[in-house]
Amino acid sequence: MIARAALAAMLALAAPALAAPKAKLAALPPYAGAYQPQTVDERGQWAEADEDERQLRDSAAVVTDPALNAYVRRVLCNAVGDDRCASVRIYILRVPVFNASMSANGTMRVYTGLLLRVRSEAELAAVLGHEFGHFEERHVLAGFRAARTATDLTTWLTLAGGYAAVSTAATSHTIAGNFYAYGRDQERAADRLAFSYTAASRYRPGAAADVWTRVMDENDATSLGRHQRSQRYDKVAFFASHPAPLERTVTLRELARKDGDDGEDATDTYAAALATWRPQFLTDQIKLNDFGGTEYLLAQLAKDGWTPDLLFARGELYRQRGNPRDLVSAAGFYREAIAKGDADPLAQRGLGLALLRSGDAAAGRQALTDYLTLRPDCEDAAMLRSLAAAQ
Amino acid sequence: MIRTVTAAALIALATPAIAGNTLVPAGVPAAVAKSTLTVTPAAEWNRLGARPGRAAETWTLDGDTLNDLTFYGGIETGQPIVREVSRKSKPLPHFSSTMLPTDLPALLEASYRISLDTPLVEIGTVEPTTFAGASGVHFTYSFTNPADDVRRRGEAWAAVIDRRLYMASFEAPALHFFDAGIEGARKVVATAKLVPQGR
Repeated sequence: MIARAALAAMLALAAPALAAPKAKLAALPPYAGAYQPQTVDERGQWAEADEDERQLRDSAAVVTDPALNAYVRRVLCNAVGDDRCASVRIYILRVPVFNASMSANGTMRVYTGLLLRVRSEAELAAVLGHEFGHFEERHVLAGFRAARTATDLTTWLTLAGGYAAVSTAATSHTIAGNFYAYGRDQERAADRLAFSYTAASRYRPGAAADVWTRVMDENDATSLGRHQRSQRYDKVAFFASHPAPLERTVTLRELARKDGDDGEDATDTYAAALATWRPQFLTDQIKLNDFGGTEYLLAQLAKDGWTPDLLFARGELYRQRGNPRDLVSAAGFYREAIAKGDADPLAQRGLGLALLRSGDAAAGRQALTDYLTLRPDCEDAAMLRSLAAAQ
Repeated sequence: MIRTVTAAALIALATPAIAGNTLVPAGVPAAVAKSTLTVTPAAEWNRLGARPGRAAETWTLDGDTLNDLTFYGGIETGQPIVREVSRKSKPLPHFSSTMLPTDLPALLEASYRISLDTPLVEIGTVEPTTFAGASGVHFTYSFTNPADDVRRRGEAWAAVIDRRLYMASFEAPALHFFDAGIEGARKVVATAKLVPQGR
């Protein structure tokens, strides 16, 4: 009760101008605070995680921008509370994949692909809260023990079977299955804990389900674009370490419905904080050679209208695939981006190259000349000048 | 003695039987990458048995990843420039003979990003050049392989001749090795020509 009152007071301090306070704040489980590894297994694991973190800290893939790092930390703190988030070091990694992870020693890795895909602080809070849930419950340690027990058992069983000349395949299969099912139970536990964080925070808890729905749809779009069969989301693969996304979505929606799905999304503040980074994250996504998935993602980001940066990205995506019809579409997207007024000058470059490649030489050369006027010192100026001049 | 045998056994395990590395003698024209693309090195190089792609071949001075001079000999439309890492989950972009000179650096960039699993690949200057007797593109690039976190610099020459892509690239760690090796590589690439078939 006291903890709850304190939490409410803290939230009130953190957000003095909160427009619509939540009708109901769920109580968070008490947090143990600074924790030191206790057993041999755990100390070994922390030592490994510490070593990984030392390497991670010096990795060229870490995005060091102080403003972005401070923003992501603020969202995590808003989600799980200041006492909890103080134990976490956040590393934003330039990896164009939807993911985040957390090590035993409190290292949180947030991928830029996640930042590109979530649409609001509430969604980001849901994902970060989920990862923090693993940390708080010390799932890594429990998972390591379960893995070791499962492999030990399998090894001994195989040996014993060898001596006894009986097949142990079926039993090994069961042990392996139990291990992966165990991983899925952990994921469910982390989902539940993450839900209680967001329920107790200023954010709307139902946002978690929205994220999973879009992940499923994007995976489908990727498969479709590659002429592959869509994945089944209602079944769990034997070796899957995560529960079926559909089950997750349904459970999270149900939790949100029971708890009362109120709270803020903070969509605008999220967009503002990510504005300077979105062009780079989009570029990284486009160069993945995933036409279907990227096209879906762009359409999702353009839900409230196609902005110049999204139109430019779509032009680049189509020009990269390079079928004759794609080049025509690409030129159209670049033109739309330019017409909106504040497009990146690179849209002129894309337009010129798309037109040149589709055979419209005169217009293409003109667009390249326009680009070179805007950016005379660009790194490919020599090549573009030669293309613009060629007859 | 035992140690030598063990080492030999390890090497035999590490490289497939067909992947013999061979010496490229100086001053003798050498056809590269299973094609008619021919270069005449002024100094000795080592030809690696392991190929980065079906129509590609790598030479080195001090060892793979320390300095790699790679030749791509006649990549056809619809083919990736290097071997696919996973055709199903991470397909590489394919070359097309309709590509513009500016699309070739982008092709290399996307192929590296996907096969090395990192967005840390950047194209630098791009300019017109003559390669293997045809007009083409010369470009610089840099990348960091997440496997070793070493930043490497690269320089490449490419041209589309008879609807096929011919390319040579030199890449080495930005620290010391690139500057130490690039002049030698440029000299080799300058001798590149397509020898008409039937000779």
